[in-house]
Amino acid sequence: MKKLILAMLMASVLVSPIFANGENEKQNVEGPFVPQQSIEWYCTSSPGGGSDIFTRTIIDIINEENLANGQNIVIQYKTDGAGEIGRNLVSNTKGEKADYTLLTFNSGDLMPMVKNTNKRFEDFQPISHMAVDKHLLFVGENPKYNSFEEVIEGIKAGDQIVLGGSKGDDIACYNALIEELGFDNTQLSFISHDGSGAAITAMLGGHVDLLISKPAAASQYVEAGRIKPVLALSTSRFPGNLNSAPTLSELGYNDVESPNWRSVVAPAAMSEKAAQFWSDVLKKVSESDKWKNDYINVKKLVPDYMDKNEFKEYGEKFQMNYLKSIGK
Amino acid sequence: MQNLELLFTGFVTVFSVQNVLVTMLGAVLGLLIGAMPGIGSLAGVALLLPLTYKFNPTTAIIMLGALYYSNMYGGSFSAILLNIPGDSPAVMTAIDGYPMATKRKRPGQALYTSNISSFTGGLIGICILTFMGPALAELGLKFGPAEMTSLLLVAMTSIGWLVGSNPTKGVVLTAVGILIASMGMDTLTGSPRFDFGSMYLLGGVPFIPFVIGTVGFAQVMKLVDEKDKKSNNIINEKLTIKGSMISLHELKRLLPPAIRSGFLGTFVGVLPGAGATTGAFLGYATQKAFKSEEPLGTGAIEGIAACESANNAAAAGSFAPLLALGIPGSGTGAVLLGGLMMWGLNPGPLLFTNQPEFCWSLIASLFLANIITLFIALGIIPFLVRILTVPIKLMIPAITMVCIVGSYSSTNSLYGVVVMLISGVFGFLFEKNGYSTAPMLLSFVLAPLLESNMRKAFIISHGSLDFFVKSPISLVLVILLILIISTPIIRGSLKIVKNKKQNKK
Repeated sequence: MKKLILAMLMASVLVSPIFANGENEKQNVEGPFVPQQSIEWYCTSSPGGGSDIFTRTIIDIINEENLANGQNIVIQYKTDGAGEIGRNLVSNTKGEKADYTLLTFNSGDLMPMVKNTNKRFEDFQPISHMAVDKHLLFVGENPKYNSFEEVIEGIKAGDQIVLGGSKGDDIACYNALIEELGFDNTQLSFISHDGSGAAITAMLGGHVDLLISKPAAASQYVEAGRIKPVLALSTSRFPGNLNSAPTLSELGYNDVESPNWRSVVAPAAMSEKAAQFWSDVLKKVSESDKWKNDYINVKKLVPDYMDKNEFKEYGEKFQMNYLKSIGK
Repeated sequence: MQNLELLFTGFVTVFSVQNVLVTMLGAVLGLLIGAMPGIGSLAGVALLLPLTYKFNPTTAIIMLGALYYSNMYGGSFSAILLNIPGDSPAVMTAIDGYPMATKRKRPGQALYTSNISSFTGGLIGICILTFMGPALAELGLKFGPAEMTSLLLVAMTSIGWLVGSNPTKGVVLTAVGILIASMGMDTLTGSPRFDFGSMYLLGGVPFIPFVIGTVGFAQVMKLVDEKDKKSNNIINEKLTIKGSMISLHELKRLLPPAIRSGFLGTFVGVLPGAGATTGAFLGYATQKAFKSEEPLGTGAIEGIAACESANNAAAAGSFAPLLALGIPGSGTGAVLLGGLMMWGLNPGPLLFTNQPEFCWSLIASLFLANIITLFIALGIIPFLVRILTVPIKLMIPAITMVCIVGSYSSTNSLYGVVVMLISGVFGFLFEKNGYSTAPMLLSFVLAPLLESNMRKAFIISHGSLDFFVKSPISLVLVILLILIISTPIIRGSLKIVKNKKQNKK
């Protein structure tokens, strides 16, 4: 008999949180969305990388300024299948859980996703576009070519030049560059590395002629005099120690750029109210001093907040152009 | 001498109460994490990184450095006692460690050998790092795609030493390893390869579950298979503390391979993208070229010493490019680098100049961590070996659980468990039929490195083969390769000629 009572007690203790949760939900049916449980934030890259730092910075700010009703935010790293597994999981999350699921998403994620799988931008609920990274070209310490004009002259004279870079958006930027210059991929060939760090290593060792990188990874090496910026792949010059690199339009071509945008998306099944809530939270993050000083300025990104509606339009257009460019 | 001076200022920083405590904490956590299969140093450092944001950067890196470092010790525990490599560099330790613990019934000596070798290798690595860190990092830079291709070809020949008695079977499994490694994303173009339409295979076969399966889970099945033949326990004799100690003669046996591997491992650790696992594989393979008192693979002290020393040395060596140039030599290094950024430091070529206190404290803490870990490890070994006296009927479900949890945690999904189970079944069938799985694991590690470097080298040379001889480093390595391959052939044909002459007489 004692055992039976004990078992019933234990069962009721185990079941009680379910009821507690249920009551909370009821309070929330009317009025704006307020988080009532912990949030799972997916990141499809390994800890320590650019996406991870982006995610952690945002979560730090949300916690510091208490923007999520004091709820805990847990980062889940899902790097299986080059990130496709995590993206698939988020896009298929349904029900109430969808309101508590977010995903760090950038154009470097979108490009392989639409190229290799049937998943599309429309399978997610866009939340906010946060910032943009752009690219530069660099040469090493004892370069064969001291400026990008010399590179162009060299290629025209029959030289074959090797450019090293990372994946995703770096490759897209390279393709746009050779198209504008009218070269083919043997005159200026591209070597894809596992990340910007590996590409910089190849440049420091003198194994490639040119390096393509985003400023965050490269600026330390510029300061140490190990590499030198020769071309800004943007519509205007970069600030600080990257200012010496001209844009393509200064050299008589059209400007080429392939911005790597960094954003946050959610499951397509996320409710309208929750999506609006998260979009507003991220707007507050993007306006905070910590975001502007410790992230945007230090990593030399271009701040560019878009709310969920603007970002939806932007993302769909980006995807359409990309699909067209790969003939899909 | 300036380096020594800076190192001493580093020690001054490290010997604050707070820093000694975090070094010890890091060392203990590293041992535990290393001993737990599936959670390697990468996951360990990644998990602890968020905890350290509130620390000051020097204290934080000291703790993570100690953790990374002691992790190399811990990995060998489960490899030796359970035949489950606690982390990937410990794969090679299991080859000799497990037979030594079970067949030769000397688990204590196996663990002591592993720890003393780890200490030796680590000490060599840290000393080299202290005096030649930046220079070594610059040397590492000279190894571009062409040089790495030649080096990896030389490394691939070491598989020949691992194939065992039947070369055909060895070659078959080497090829299987290469095929499995080629699944997933193409490293250069990023297009899917052998994914068979499965989203999981797009990311390739993860190494840790693959290893836990082929080595650890296969072992479980072997235990089940042999259950009726054997007695209840793996070891029936009573294991005493005295009986677990290592003798002076054994110490003399382990030192030469440990010292050789210490230098080799440091060098491998410095190379871009190689890391501790490659270090351990090469250390072991090199030992095959030297004399061992007992044949390697049957529980030889030399085998354990060679790979354990190499992986600790490589862990120390990988700090050279990380600190001097801001280039991570391994996945764990990459996470540490991410940590540096989060703490507001800018890793890169200026770190040594701008933050000498930080760099030298880290190096000093490695010395300290090396000693602390050695003592902790030596102290717990007599208790650890008792695991082997647990009845097999309890061991089997326990190890199975460890395999499942380990492979789950390494990928954070059931995909890892599935990979572990499938590779376990195949690993068991291979071993049962006389196929040694070591060549498969080695080719699985080396093939992707070889592929990406060779293809990069061909892009740089515009399709010409001259990159093999153009750079002096590569040329030397190619000559070495030719010598290694041709020696047995020449020796063999000389023997035939000799025999013919004798027959004529």
